[in-house]
Amino acid sequence: MDIKKLLLAYLTAITFVSQAQRTGLIRGVIKDSGGSPIPSITIKLTGLAKVTTSNQRGEYLFSNVKSGNYTLIYSGVGFKTAEKKIEVKEGKESMLDVVLDDNTIELNTVTVVGRTEVQEVNRQSFNVTAVDAKQLYNSTLDLSSALDRVSGVRVRESGGVGSNFSLSLNGFSGNRIRYFIDGVPMDNFGSSFQINNIPINIAERLEVYKGVVPIWLGSDALGGAINIVTGNRFRNYVDASYSFGSFNTHRSVVNAAFTAKNGFTVRLNAFQNYSDNDYKVTVDAADIYTGAYKANAVVRRFHDNYHNETVIASVGVVGKKYADQLLLGLTLGKNYKELQTGARMVAVFGGWHRRGNIVMPTLKYRKTDLIKGLDVAINANYNLGKEQNIDTLSARFDWYGNSKPNPNGEGRGRSLSKYGNNNGLVSATVNYKISEHQAIALSNAFSTFYRKGTDAFNESFTQGQVRPRLNKNVLGVGYTYDVKDRWSASVFGKYLLQKTPGQATFNKLGYGLATSYFLTPKLQLKASYEQANRLPEANELFGDVELVQGNLSLKPEQSRNINVGFGYSFTAQEDHRFLVNANAIYRYSDNYIYSRFNQNQSALVLDNLEGVFTMGGEGELRYSYKKFLSAGATLTYQQLENRQQYVFDSNGNLIVSPVYKDQMPNIPYFFGNADASVTLRDIGQKGSVLNIGYNLLYVHAFWLYWPSRGGDKLSIPQQLSHDLNAVYSLKNGRYNIGVEVRNITDKRLYDNFSLQKPGRGFYMNLRYFFNSFKS
Amino acid sequence: MKLRSTFALFVTTGLLASCTKTESVPETPGNYILTVSPAASTGVADYLLTAQNLETGTISTAGNGVEQDGTYRYYVTHNGKFFSMLYGQGNPGAVTAYNIQDSKLTKLTNFQTETVQAFAPVNDDLLLFKISRSLTAPTSSWYKVNTNSLTITAEGTVNTLDLTQLGELAHFTWIKQVGTKVFAPYQTINDRSFNTAYPDQASIAIFNYADMKLEKVITDKRASFIGKYFQDGLSIQENGDIYGFSPAAATTAGKLSSTKPAAVLKIKSGTTEFDQSYFFDVEAASGGMSITSWIYIGNNTYIVNATAKAEKTSGFPAGKRVGIVNVVDKTYKAVTGMPDVASISNLTTNNYSPKDGKTGYIGVNLTDGTSYIYKIDASTQTATRGLKIEGGAVTAVQYLK
Repeated sequence: MDIKKLLLAYLTAITFVSQAQRTGLIRGVIKDSGGSPIPSITIKLTGLAKVTTSNQRGEYLFSNVKSGNYTLIYSGVGFKTAEKKIEVKEGKESMLDVVLDDNTIELNTVTVVGRTEVQEVNRQSFNVTAVDAKQLYNSTLDLSSALDRVSGVRVRESGGVGSNFSLSLNGFSGNRIRYFIDGVPMDNFGSSFQINNIPINIAERLEVYKGVVPIWLGSDALGGAINIVTGNRFRNYVDASYSFGSFNTHRSVVNAAFTAKNGFTVRLNAFQNYSDNDYKVTVDAADIYTGAYKANAVVRRFHDNYHNETVIASVGVVGKKYADQLLLGLTLGKNYKELQTGARMVAVFGGWHRRGNIVMPTLKYRKTDLIKGLDVAINANYNLGKEQNIDTLSARFDWYGNSKPNPNGEGRGRSLSKYGNNNGLVSATVNYKISEHQAIALSNAFSTFYRKGTDAFNESFTQGQVRPRLNKNVLGVGYTYDVKDRWSASVFGKYLLQKTPGQATFNKLGYGLATSYFLTPKLQLKASYEQANRLPEANELFGDVELVQGNLSLKPEQSRNINVGFGYSFTAQEDHRFLVNANAIYRYSDNYIYSRFNQNQSALVLDNLEGVFTMGGEGELRYSYKKFLSAGATLTYQQLENRQQYVFDSNGNLIVSPVYKDQMPNIPYFFGNADASVTLRDIGQKGSVLNIGYNLLYVHAFWLYWPSRGGDKLSIPQQLSHDLNAVYSLKNGRYNIGVEVRNITDKRLYDNFSLQKPGRGFYMNLRYFFNSFKS
Repeated sequence: MKLRSTFALFVTTGLLASCTKTESVPETPGNYILTVSPAASTGVADYLLTAQNLETGTISTAGNGVEQDGTYRYYVTHNGKFFSMLYGQGNPGAVTAYNIQDSKLTKLTNFQTETVQAFAPVNDDLLLFKISRSLTAPTSSWYKVNTNSLTITAEGTVNTLDLTQLGELAHFTWIKQVGTKVFAPYQTINDRSFNTAYPDQASIAIFNYADMKLEKVITDKRASFIGKYFQDGLSIQENGDIYGFSPAAATTAGKLSSTKPAAVLKIKSGTTEFDQSYFFDVEAASGGMSITSWIYIGNNTYIVNATAKAEKTSGFPAGKRVGIVNVVDKTYKAVTGMPDVASISNLTTNNYSPKDGKTGYIGVNLTDGTSYIYKIDASTQTATRGLKIEGGAVTAVQYLK
């Protein structure tokens, strides 16, 4: 093309060859404009095709660089790309410290597209969606409601704050989905620390892996995983918020970190939720004396108080030679929860409640480049927390709060249990970058469970023939070949082992492949396949002492999962930006684990269904205009089909199932979200930002029971709800005031049959953010 | 352009997906009510189907029938209404009342009671009993539900431990109106598995219905307990005589333990004592059969479900054989024309007879998953295959005008 340039390149190359033996070093530290070191910045040494990334302390190093003049290109998400020139002399160290400016233009796209900041995650070959949590800091959302806005995700709640929830991901739900916090499995954190009571402000981003889960998240996730990345963006900061609103709901969050020059650090996350959940519901309210139902009675919930308080504190060092991060921590928390209803709103309770706490010492160790190319992460924790179930009131309540004596407690017979699950976990992940394109990873997670406790009304509590005890180990190996921004592929294998004394040992091997290809830099294709396994959980085998009755004959579930999808972004006339993501899924599960009522309908019990087939698709479209407008929509459709051809009749005879190939009941199959927001700047005061947003949720009606049976049927009605919010930020985000109206039209919303969710609610949120280096 | 087509694709996908199947609903109007359960593992209660006749044709739960919430439902027809009662331990029991209008089931109302283990029509009421299985909490509760107002009009409790004077709980197998009184035959139990140390006695608790005061308990040691869990073991003839069957199914430590034969006992009209001059040894008369449930069809005649001695292994025997019993003649005649016993999964016990002394209808579920209504002719002791039921097992056969 340009002969002169070609010639020059040619000459330069010759020059380099002739200087082959004479080398030097380039090193430096990358900081942001506030002076904080920036990790994970990509540094390209042009001409030599060398690439490296900055470590936790923002440091980078190129060794064995032949002497000469070079250009270094620094790029990273959220920062303006910078170019610097430097001369390398033989046997010398060339220092090049760089300050990168925030990329405000990029950040603008962030607001718009909703996730550019976390694009790196999205560019993995896995089917993954990352949610930038920071944008939601001024809202009153908890993690589960933030996740509910992701395509393919549906969170079903049984009521208000702290109520039971079930998250489904592309048709998979329950324990097929595993939760992680910074890569550490959350399986056994107990009721005091769950995604429905952790505020969004704890997270920096949420990674939602649909289907195939990378092995560094070592677990037996079968249908996907959610990794909550708490991040450590700032060395010294305070982020505090408090919100209050309808139904006497109060929430507060304080996140703070202090880091000394020598690397000593103290980190604190504390949060609290409180709600009376005394929202009005429309029910057929029975008079407990006459039994007559008053149809469509509007009553207030009267026994639904929920509160939890949690503190996560850690001390340690960062940025040391031996550790990028070495933290000793303690998570302390407790929760209190009153139960207003059973599985149907006709069962009203007035005394039954639960308590739980978490006392969990933790250890976290991270080191990148322990030896060159070798990254190590180790986590350990042990939960000493206790759970309590308190159902000692022998009374029958009605919706008006009246009660009359009724033998044997309110729920499943009187109970006053206190027990600990004694969960321990040790996990380790090792990553080794063999070359620029190749890496191998090895991960192992070992967990243990041993429930001990007593129940004043049940002598045999935790004393059954098979003691509630198990050990589980998941070992994973993976290999990745990655040509950045062109294509990548990972193959992996997992070996799962679970032992319960007195029970058959579970032994399962899983494997898979994930690959992605950039057709153009803006169009990525992804495909993955996995033979996945999920082992029965302790709570499923032994019961959870509350709602779930144990089933010791439960078998592991296996599933073959295929995902294919694409992501495409484009602009029209510069200012109109678009992003399209779409995925198709195929799943076939053997021994599908599902929950059904026990014989007396007093509890749920997990059971295997021979086969379940799932086919579906989900898509997302986002649009933005300048810094001003952002809008988007997601849609998910999934068909789950029962493939168990033969079932046992009530006398144990194998017969053809009348619901073979019928659609699985009581699972939402078509749903979506839409949102729009407008951002106005410098209103009233320079540096202020006013953001007004709207969010819509749609869930198509679905049948409670098998669709093919019956003519006059029970269903969960369509949900269509609208939320509005406005956030006003002052002093570049130091002070923030947010107001929200949820369920504006005061629609009766149901996720589960007959269990009505809160009506219209108003909330206000105040937040203060202070970063010492940026002030 | 590109944008528009992408968006169009989105919208189209959405529209396609949101189009739900609009199936035509096959209806089978009629005055017979069949309750049909689509296999236990499906976790759904019976579908309520109506049928014009029980002798020919096919009926299915596919797109047909009234869906009910819950897993277990029990039924009783009384006062022109069909009652469906939810069985859910601990939870309040929802009852739905239906009548038939234009040959279709029409929901009248729901009302709330408790989960009960025995219920029977008394006058214009339904009397319900929630029976304790706990020696430490031996309070059993009764409820009177008026079938006109469909509300609970009275309730009370009985200490069913004190009632037996044996240190065991009285567990009523069922309840029966006899004039102004209510007879409640019971088995004595000392644990939740229904074991007893007294397997060789039949007892009935007699209540005055007006105030539900316990008047007396009568006991007969010639037979084991009358009836069976959730099974009406007493029957009143046109002349007021009362007969009760005993399947001799008491268990001790998990094993059948009665030394008495399966039998029928009698209480003469107007008396409240067992008639010591009457004893019908069913086992001897039938070559070893035990009655496990029965339906009175008039004229001293019963269609019975029965089990042979070798088939009776638990305290809850469910007979797969059909016989005709005449309690006055003390005869048992086997019915012919039924499917081979080995091919039967179970027979329904909540059945219908027009009380013509001759006819009854019984649901038959076969081990291959097919289900039929069989018409029983007591005069010829024959069974004839009738209506075929698809998409589930039949659990009750009822009729409502």
